[in-house]
Amino acid sequence: MIAKLFLAAVFLPLYPLSIPQNALVMRMKSPWLRAILLLVWPQIGVAVLQAAPADISNGLVIWAMASAGFYALRLLTVRDLGLWASMLASSALALVWGLAANGADVWSLRLFALSFSLPAALLVLLAGQLTLRFGAAYSGLYGGLADSQPRLAALLVSSVLAAIATPLFPGFFGMLTLLHTLDWGFDFGLLLVWLLWSWAGFLLLQGFLFGPVRQAARPDLSGRATAGFVFLLVVLVLAGLALRGGGL
Amino acid sequence: MMNMLSVLPVLPFALFLLSSVTATLFSARLGRRVARLSVVFSVLATMAALLELTLYLREGEPHWLSSGAAWGSLCLDPLSIIMSVVVAGISLVVHVYSVRYMAEEPGYGRFYILLDLMTAAILLMVAAGDLVTLLVSWHLVGIVLYFLLGHDQTRQASQRYAFWALITYRIGDLPLVLAAVLLYQSFGTLALPELFGRIAAHPDATTLLGLPLTETVGLLVALSAFARSAQFPLHNWLPYTMEGPTPVSALMHAGIVNAGGFLINRFAPLFVHTQSVLHLVFAVGLVTAVLGSVLMLTQNDIKKSLGYSTMGQMGFMFVECGVGAFSLAIYHLIAHGLFKGTMFLGAGGVIGDARRHDGVPHDDVYTFVVERKTDASRLPWLVAVTITVVVPLAILGFSHWLVSGHFVGQQGAVILLFFGWATGAQLLLATHRLQADSPLRQMAMIILSLAIVVVAYTLIEHGFGLFLYPDSAMRDGLYAAASVPLGVFGVMMGILTVAIVMGWLATYSSKSAPEWRPGRLARARLMLYSLVSREFYVADVHGQLTQLVLAASRKLNLLARWV
Repeated sequence: MIAKLFLAAVFLPLYPLSIPQNALVMRMKSPWLRAILLLVWPQIGVAVLQAAPADISNGLVIWAMASAGFYALRLLTVRDLGLWASMLASSALALVWGLAANGADVWSLRLFALSFSLPAALLVLLAGQLTLRFGAAYSGLYGGLADSQPRLAALLVSSVLAAIATPLFPGFFGMLTLLHTLDWGFDFGLLLVWLLWSWAGFLLLQGFLFGPVRQAARPDLSGRATAGFVFLLVVLVLAGLALRGGGL
Repeated sequence: MMNMLSVLPVLPFALFLLSSVTATLFSARLGRRVARLSVVFSVLATMAALLELTLYLREGEPHWLSSGAAWGSLCLDPLSIIMSVVVAGISLVVHVYSVRYMAEEPGYGRFYILLDLMTAAILLMVAAGDLVTLLVSWHLVGIVLYFLLGHDQTRQASQRYAFWALITYRIGDLPLVLAAVLLYQSFGTLALPELFGRIAAHPDATTLLGLPLTETVGLLVALSAFARSAQFPLHNWLPYTMEGPTPVSALMHAGIVNAGGFLINRFAPLFVHTQSVLHLVFAVGLVTAVLGSVLMLTQNDIKKSLGYSTMGQMGFMFVECGVGAFSLAIYHLIAHGLFKGTMFLGAGGVIGDARRHDGVPHDDVYTFVVERKTDASRLPWLVAVTITVVVPLAILGFSHWLVSGHFVGQQGAVILLFFGWATGAQLLLATHRLQADSPLRQMAMIILSLAIVVVAYTLIEHGFGLFLYPDSAMRDGLYAAASVPLGVFGVMMGILTVAIVMGWLATYSSKSAPEWRPGRLARARLMLYSLVSREFYVADVHGQLTQLVLAASRKLNLLARWV
């Protein structure tokens, strides 16, 4: 039982067991592999957690909240988009423990995990596109994406907003569910984590979107690729509204 | 007719949303015609809001529109209807103004998309019929505002201050989230009318740690409203948002920043059962009003001065809520929105005129305001003082007695009358120094103007109160919730009177002996001026705290080796 919980803590990352996930994401070169890892990793965690017969203790929830807060605070000074997406996933996916501790069914856990891992996966794919064009996906290194690459900029904004649980993305409703489920003492911590995500998200965006264009002109994202990203985001919103709408 | 009334609340919001979506999808094909499209949708939405108001006035009753899902419902009540008309109307003016004003700016289409989205979010917020819809729209307003304020993407300052606004709004969002969760946990419903019904049935319900629910939730709602309406010490973002485009400043100061007053009114059925939250609202509002007015007087930038003036006005709006005059706060919000919107949209013209004509007009008002020349021909001192003290009191007392006899018995009403009297007295005291051929005639005209303004204000406010809160028990209940023990009230009024009279004496003393006198008082004044000119160091404190958090984050990342 302990071994299963330990394994679940690797896949639904609790610091320091979250280190393998972030190290793997940073080691992988292919954006697609990174995205698949971010999507599959927490789903394995949910499956392992379901297989563990024991109730989740309050201590584990405290550990999960501390881990989420730890990564949320660190996000503030992360400038690499790929690492940022991975750390945000580490922060958000730790919260699955809070839902699980209060008896949420496996379907709710999978949806909650997906509502954060899918935006993170989209972000690593966008990081791949930025690396192709500029050699790195680093906030503050080159500005003015909003003017020079409007499609890429719009997708980046939407994905970051989805990742930091902004309405109408499913993460927002997931956070409401979690707040309703947890004890009030945890609610304060959760709200602080949410605030830190927003702070970090907009700091990251500012470094990419604004300021004068410092690079030679690069082609924007193709129409087909844009349509693909938009489709995924629209599906995310609609699925969130249909499956998690209301949250409370 | 009732079916039409049922569909209408959706229309203003839906039209702006449709405009935004259409402009996004066809922006490449539409080019600059996107502005025309947006204005057309804006006109239609304003007409829908006006029709909604007309139909409601004729035969409407408040009702609730369900979306069929757990959330997404709308509330059709006097508050949502009047706010929809105001928001749609001000947005229409801003839309039309921006057609030419923003024409030379990059991102013309994007501006209109965001403007439509912002208006849609505000309209959804004012018509929200359940907690989740309210939360969704409340969050969206802050997010869209960030992108509107940062419209000029090459200016660092506009990005920085847009970020300030965003973070303050996010800090304010969280108490409202917690309030919604506590309410849902206690009463098991999201729908606002049902929720308020259950609160009325169980006003003594308790929540976490056995705290009274209405008091706790009321405090959380008030905190959220403070951040949204720039109350001290969460005010710093407001004057600096002038870095955004002027039409956005107009929309923000005329509409968005008023959301705090709206929120408190929306939760009026909850505040009626609170004991002390409204006292906090009053205190915060008063401090904000005083500081906002002081900071406004020390600015040399017209837009920043208007920004601090808005802060002061927001403070007054919270003072009104804090004394239980909820409908007056909404009336104030609308009146302030209209005149501040006009001032912002006219600010560019004023600056342009000042650049074209460097000489200021040398008329009587200029001489009075700038050169401070005393008039040889004016009313005797004793007559002026008597008029100053007695006339405003008589006008205010009479007009309030006229509309509602028992109103003057309420503590909140007494405070409002007192402030009204002090303002009127100050006006007369200041204007009696104006140069005039016939000082008596001039004073008579001023008194007549004051009487017209006060009586009209009182009558409109009274009508407004009856429209927004037709239930007299509710109106009285709000005043009762805001009242304090009689002894405390007496002491408070005494302190206020002493403060105002001391202020008048200090002004009189400085006017009668304006030359610089070194000494302890002069040093204290200099220190006070330094404090004011540094805006009470609030921004510095915020900056230091931010740097501390960022330094901690950096250190943690280094320790954890970025994994």
